[in-house]
Amino acid sequence: MSWETVIGLEIHVQLSTDSKLFSGGSTSFGAEPNTHVDLIDLGLPGVLPVANRGAFYKAIRFGLATNAEINLTSTFDRKNYFYPDLPKGYQITQMALPVIGKGSIKIEVDGEEKVINITRAHLEEDAGKSIHDLFEGETGVDLNRAGTPLLEIVSEPEISNAKEAVAYFKAIRQIVTFLDICDGNMAQGSMRCDVNVSLKKTGDDKLGTRAEIKNINSFKFIEKAINYEIGRQARILESGESVVQETRLYDSVKNETRSMRSKEEANDYRYFPCPDLLPVVISDDELNEIKNNLPELPNEKEKRYIEESNLDISEAKIIASSKTMANMFEEACAKTDDSKLIANWLVGDISALLNKDNIDLEESKLTSNNFAVLIERISDKTISGKIAKSVLEEIWESGGSVDEIIESKGLVQIQDESLIEEIALKIINGNPSQVEAYKDGKDKLFGFFVGQVMKETQGKANPQSVNEILKKLLS
Amino acid sequence: MSIQYKTINELSQMLKSRDISNKELIQETFNLIDANLHLNAFITLNKDASLLKAEELDKNLSLQPLSGIPIAQKDLFCTKDLRTTCGSNMLSNFIPPYSATVIENLENAGCVSVGKTNMDEFAMGSSNETSFYGNVQNPWGDKLVPGGSSGGSAAAVAAGIVPAASGTDTGGSIRQPASLCGISGLKPTYGRISRWGMIAFASSLDQAGPMARTAEDCALLLNQMCSHDLKDTTSLDETIPDFTENLDKPIKGLKIGLVKEFDLSQLDKEVVKVFEESKKQYETLGAEFIEISLPNISLSVPTYYVVAPAECSSNLSRFDGVKFGKRCDDPKDLEELYIKTRSEGFGDEVKRRILIGSYVLSAGFYDAYYKKAQQVRRLIKNDFDDAFKKVDVIMSPTTRGAAFEEGSKGDDPIQMYLEDLFTIPANLAGLPALSIPNGMVDGKPIGLQLIGNFLEENKLLRAAHNFQLSTDWHKKTPKGDIQS
Amino acid sequence: MDKKTVSTIAYLSRLSLDEENGEKITKDLENIIKFVNQLEDANTQNIEPLASPLEKTAKTREDKVTAQNRKDIFLERSPKSNDDYFLVPRVVE
Repeated sequence: MSWETVIGLEIHVQLSTDSKLFSGGSTSFGAEPNTHVDLIDLGLPGVLPVANRGAFYKAIRFGLATNAEINLTSTFDRKNYFYPDLPKGYQITQMALPVIGKGSIKIEVDGEEKVINITRAHLEEDAGKSIHDLFEGETGVDLNRAGTPLLEIVSEPEISNAKEAVAYFKAIRQIVTFLDICDGNMAQGSMRCDVNVSLKKTGDDKLGTRAEIKNINSFKFIEKAINYEIGRQARILESGESVVQETRLYDSVKNETRSMRSKEEANDYRYFPCPDLLPVVISDDELNEIKNNLPELPNEKEKRYIEESNLDISEAKIIASSKTMANMFEEACAKTDDSKLIANWLVGDISALLNKDNIDLEESKLTSNNFAVLIERISDKTISGKIAKSVLEEIWESGGSVDEIIESKGLVQIQDESLIEEIALKIINGNPSQVEAYKDGKDKLFGFFVGQVMKETQGKANPQSVNEILKKLLS
Repeated sequence: MSIQYKTINELSQMLKSRDISNKELIQETFNLIDANLHLNAFITLNKDASLLKAEELDKNLSLQPLSGIPIAQKDLFCTKDLRTTCGSNMLSNFIPPYSATVIENLENAGCVSVGKTNMDEFAMGSSNETSFYGNVQNPWGDKLVPGGSSGGSAAAVAAGIVPAASGTDTGGSIRQPASLCGISGLKPTYGRISRWGMIAFASSLDQAGPMARTAEDCALLLNQMCSHDLKDTTSLDETIPDFTENLDKPIKGLKIGLVKEFDLSQLDKEVVKVFEESKKQYETLGAEFIEISLPNISLSVPTYYVVAPAECSSNLSRFDGVKFGKRCDDPKDLEELYIKTRSEGFGDEVKRRILIGSYVLSAGFYDAYYKKAQQVRRLIKNDFDDAFKKVDVIMSPTTRGAAFEEGSKGDDPIQMYLEDLFTIPANLAGLPALSIPNGMVDGKPIGLQLIGNFLEENKLLRAAHNFQLSTDWHKKTPKGDIQS
Repeated sequence: MDKKTVSTIAYLSRLSLDEENGEKITKDLENIIKFVNQLEDANTQNIEPLASPLEKTAKTREDKVTAQNRKDIFLERSPKSNDDYFLVPRVVE
């Protein structure tokens, strides 16, 4: 029997607002436990939520970028369940009328494009954190995160395999970071996802029973969890049994998913409209304002880089695909009017270093300012390309400032042509036999003289000047 | 000079003319509290802070409108650093870190909050018999209930201990006890008074309001209680009028609606007689009566007993023994922590309502109950909208009868629910409504209810004040009539 | 409204009902549900549910941090905590 995999993703994106969805509590990451907790976040008796308009603006940016229906009027509902890090015993979410309706996003897998439809994207509040392993016999509750705005993006079940799922997740991450609505930081949990996986007989219309794998927060684990789950369900179906609809947890250590049935027991969330919150209405003027100020998206950047900065399609694509790299490119271009040179460095040396270390640009020690200065120093001939490469490598390893490295290591390029000529003459006089051979037509020896001059100057001579001077002296 | 049974205006006059100092007034109030401990009207007293504030007021002459007026606060409003129990064991140790907006408003106006009044647990009840802190006795007789849920507030005013108290009204919790205790009480338009700091029972129905001896005092209090509060997005940003303005203005030509569907023949003959006499009184004052129809009004109580429990089941989930309030002893795991804490912390009526609420919201029943009730709620609201095209106010008895004896409603919760037959509709529609004393039945007071259109508290208060200018029912006390 | 239903909603509500109590409450609930079943009589075709008597739209707030750190008072007034966390019996995931 052959099986077709059907996958849907629910991605929780932490919106990068300053304050929480319903309180003036701070959303910043990494604070001491329970210091960013407002009366409202604690769910004290008598407190009331007040919706943060900024969260709506950010959600709408996402809607616009995915050509989605924008519901200018949206409402909040309560989802009722008990958990220690859910202070009110219910989560405020948008069940009936979410701010963002149907939309879509393009993904690319192995050079093939595919459109994944998005069912909806709604605002809801995040829960706090339960710390299970810090105290003997007890769980600690930190409510700093409680009430942080989340945009839950629900895809249609149109994803066919783990690779596509990862590509979809990456595409969403790219969009939300470009839109500046989420920092995309997976390690800090700024993006998490629940994956719904089911199998059906190839060609069948009817969907099979699905299992939901909760709370995965890395690309690698999404792929592994899905592949494990496909195998598990296939084995069950092959043996003639049926898959149980349930919530499962991915254990990255054992690389397996396991049932969370206990938690699901008698789960009935009893959704109903939140009586504390009236419908939120966004005006057409506000919508237009958001539209007019929508940050540039990757495909728009790509187009601009090709048209205005004369980049090749492949260069433009690479640079525009990462927000950090695009920023780096634009910052360097603002300082140095040589987009080709800048693109070469990004697509060449820097991409190679990223590949070597298998990291994202934002994880590296290179800042956009450093990069812009590095390019400027190449362009103003303070250093040669070769020296620049060694400076880059040093910064890659240990950070630091470009100018300080050039200064402290005395890497400033020799521009003084009389000095270069003096050194070149010394080399020519010291190597009469090579001079003779060169003049006899052994052109390749030109490189020998360049090399000697560079060696003498510890690589600091301006290579172009060296070439010109040697040519003149040897003719 | 006795301060018992004095109105706000009378006490303000006494303070202004220095017949009494602020401190004496507050001291005397606590003497009255002590003399009336048997009423069990208060759960927590605020004596030291009250005396301190009174001393301050004596030192610094204040021009605040309610300067020095002692007030009893329903124990449902959070009071910063002063225990707030909501009548429940669950919150028997709860010290709020903040105050409700309405408490702040009243205190900023000069009121002295002398204590927190007893109430039905989480405001669920109509007799004050569900309080964890024991029944409140109606000052009008031994073993008589004061009504509920604002029973302690009503009893404190009726006994003349304080001239004013705050209450809350979700299905009649201000008006019903006002009726049973012979005082005046107003439930304003939903959204007039901020709900910030009011411990929620049913958020779309809850509304705070004043309880006092007279409609005029209710107006004085309402002036200070209302505010447009950014912390409560259901608080109205409408202009807040001076509710005391034009209270004296005659009501000649006022159109009063009588609800065709309210079948008064089912009520005690004495109750009907009292109501008929009030009609005559209003006719004398120049009002005219028009029969109106509220076709869906008979569904008010069933609608309420779906909507209110549903909201309460969710609102009360925060009482889980994790962040505040009580926790059971030595829970062996999280489930036990939740279940034991909540089972020990809540009384039976609260449990019943949580269970009904969970039931009507649960999968498979939502449409049949919750959604249906919300649809009927709209029908009821539409009925009122139509009615108010024809009349200025709607009049009915507040309650089916006078104060009843403790335990007399038996075991059947529905009998108790029907207590609020006349009061519930105004909550469902969000309309202002008040109750004023309008007669005696078997030596016990009883109230008249007036329901007004959206934001028309002024009309209600004027109609009530005119009635009180021409009658003496509001001057009756358990110890005889007040001589003016 | 049978015993099983009552025990399910009791669990959803995290309430336990003892034997005696349970029977009385089950009976009460039955009666209350019977009572509210009157709602069936109403013709509510095409009637929009009314969730709040205020048919208005929400006022919202600007995205601004206004809260202060009240950690100490929150933890101190909670049933069980240490210097940093609210504490509950260990939850096994």
